Amino acid sequence: MSQSYNRGLIEDFGRWKEFSAGMWAWIFHKFTGWMLIGYLFTHIAVLSSAIAAADGQTMMLAGEQVDAYTGTLQGLESLFIVRVLEVGLLAVAVFHILNGVRLLMVDLGVGLTAQDKSFYASLVLTGVITVASVPTFMAGVGL
Amino acid sequence: MAERYSSFTPGGTAWFLQRVTAAFLIVVLAFHFFLLHFVNHASEITFAGTQARMEDVGYFLTMVLFLIAGAFHGVNGVYNALVNQGLSGTPKKVVLAVLVIAAGLLIVQGVWVALVMRGMI
Amino acid sequence: MSTQQQEPESQESPQDPEMKGTESPQQRRLKEKQEGMVDEHAEDEAEAAGETVHIKVFRYDPEVADKQEPRFDDFHVPFEKGMTVLDAVMYARDEFDSSLTFRHSCRQAVCGSDAFFVNGSQMLGCKTQLSELEQPVRIEPLPHQEVVKDLVVDMDHFYDQMHAVEPYFQDEETPDASDLEEQRQTPENREKIKMSSRCIWCGACMSSCNIAAGDNEYLGPAAINKAYKFAMDDRESEEIKEHRLRILEQEHGVWRCQTQFSCTEVCPKDIPLTEHIQELKREAVKKNLKFW
Ligand code: HEM
Ligand code: HEM
Ligand code: HEM
Ligand code: SF4
Ligand code: FES
Repeated sequence: MSQSYNRGLIEDFGRWKEFSAGMWAWIFHKFTGWMLIGYLFTHIAVLSSAIAAADGQTMMLAGEQVDAYTGTLQGLESLFIVRVLEVGLLAVAVFHILNGVRLLMVDLGVGLTAQDKSFYASLVLTGVITVASVPTFMAGVGL
Repeated sequence: MAERYSSFTPGGTAWFLQRVTAAFLIVVLAFHFFLLHFVNHASEITFAGTQARMEDVGYFLTMVLFLIAGAFHGVNGVYNALVNQGLSGTPKKVVLAVLVIAAGLLIVQGVWVALVMRGMI
Repeated sequence: MSTQQQEPESQESPQDPEMKGTESPQQRRLKEKQEGMVDEHAEDEAEAAGETVHIKVFRYDPEVADKQEPRFDDFHVPFEKGMTVLDAVMYARDEFDSSLTFRHSCRQAVCGSDAFFVNGSQMLGCKTQLSELEQPVRIEPLPHQEVVKDLVVDMDHFYDQMHAVEPYFQDEETPDASDLEEQRQTPENREKIKMSSRCIWCGACMSSCNIAAGDNEYLGPAAINKAYKFAMDDRESEEIKEHRLRILEQEHGVWRCQTQFSCTEVCPKDIPLTEHIQELKREAVKKNLKFW
């Protein structure tokens, strides 16, 4: 081959509109998976305040002296932005679980012809569960 | 010949374990969210409450397994995603090493925290 | 995108009239076509009446100065009932621009040479009705392969992957001809591999696959499907099936499939590619569990 033309990555990114259900499911699963593993690292870091608490360290929370663990967790929970992020985390986790179930079915060869419908179902269910959980997640936090 | 039959090829093992951990995570992650948001509200978590839950051996073991399964599943998922994008050669080995170390540290730290919560350290 | 084209050597030899860059007859024809062909209003009306079809065709040719930077050419082709995408580009080639280049042969979806990227999806030109497409119909070479010229892509890598799975029947126990024995396959087994045997090596699936685009070593749907055809054939012995699975269960074999179903959606022969890949993954896991 003397010469040829490589159209490069532009053809992938420029054509996202032409993606089909299974490709979107893949992108979303990827995104949510990365969020979850990122969260897990942060989560363990925050929970590590238990080590300080067990050492007897305390801190101030809303004018009270509490142990470091309770203070850290409740301090975070009192922030509006953390609550919003938690709702986001729930949405991410619910989608990853539901689509994960879909993928496990696909791996077992069950319902392959309904793979697009089950993706849409995952999306809708995620939306419903997330909206339904907002009151619980937002309980007791002011703007 | 022997090793050819007994070796569970890397790609296959990882793929299989990714599914097995996924099946396990469905149950525990749903349980975890439910317990810490709907049964006990997230904003009311206290050290005492956590200690009380961790006192239970079953709960403690579940959490540690959750941690290990989650760490493997997440890190293996990230590794896979990178291999899918054509990662190869030395960068691939480096990435694998970094991910294994990160997951190792995560598990060690997590188990330590869990033991502290249980009052065992 | 940087195309970093060097000047083709042939352009420096003025003796060759075809290759004198801007003065080539081909380009003269192109210019004439562009000036003479399009009377916009008349075209619009003809299209509205369903008499012509507007196609936009990807053009690239490293040996012609004007075409070294890829572009799209517009053609307005008289429409006939039952006309396919292949018919349209053939008409454009025969009537408007004889330099328009693409592969085709059988015109009946058996040779697999005319897979194009039509309106953003991989399709066989000869199997796709123009009446089912939105206009203007955008026709491009298959993505994720280097373009050699116009709609012609380099298929070498695809063929390499196909050959990597040893796509031929292998059996040590072939009955001796003098015994007059046949090598029979049960109807059930034939049914099982029926769909997988329909592949025409068009490369549409590989081109649609996101993972194959990123990971050059990935075998790809067509090759895995080809391996399925033989691995699932009962007439091959167990050892050969294992040998086949060992090829497939490498890191860049079946495990790279992310079940996006894009290959299954584009395959012009309706082969359930994802299903076959998944079945092979399970076979590989089962085989390995057995030897624990
Ligand atoms: C916003 C939602 C979440 C809250 C409020 C929360 C809260 C907690 C708390 C309080 C603990 C300590 C154990 C206990 O008190 O019973 C814990 C442990 C744990 N959580 Fe979460 N969690 C959340 C989401 C998640 C998610 C999404 C994951 C997985 C990615 C996760 C993974 C873990 C693990 C692995 C442990 C055990 C830690 C150890 O063994 O050291 N959590 N979580
Ligand atoms: C709760 C139940 C879960 C299920 C059913 C599940 C299921 C799956 C499955 C089947 C895959 C593989 C997709 C494929 O290779 O085609 C996957 C990928 C992944 N999962 Fe999960 N998972 C779950 C929880 C988690 C958690 C807790 C984390 C984070 C700690 C996580 C992080 C990831 C990551 C990072 C990937 C790779 C995504 C990518 O391809 O880039 N998952 N999950
Ligand atoms: C001199 C006489 C003939 C010549 C030169 C000739 C040539 C050919 C050629 C070149 C092909 C294509 C081969 C291929 O696809 O691989 C073909 C296919 C075929 N020919 Fe002939 N043929 C002749 C006579 C006949 C006769 C007399 C019959 C029927 C009685 C016949 C029936 C067929 C059939 C059914 C096919 C299609 C086979 C397939 O699809 O693979 N041919 N012939
Ligand atoms: S599997 Fe289908 S899409 Fe892929 S090469 Fe064969 S016929 Fe073409
Ligand atoms: S021309 Fe042979 S498949 Fe279309």
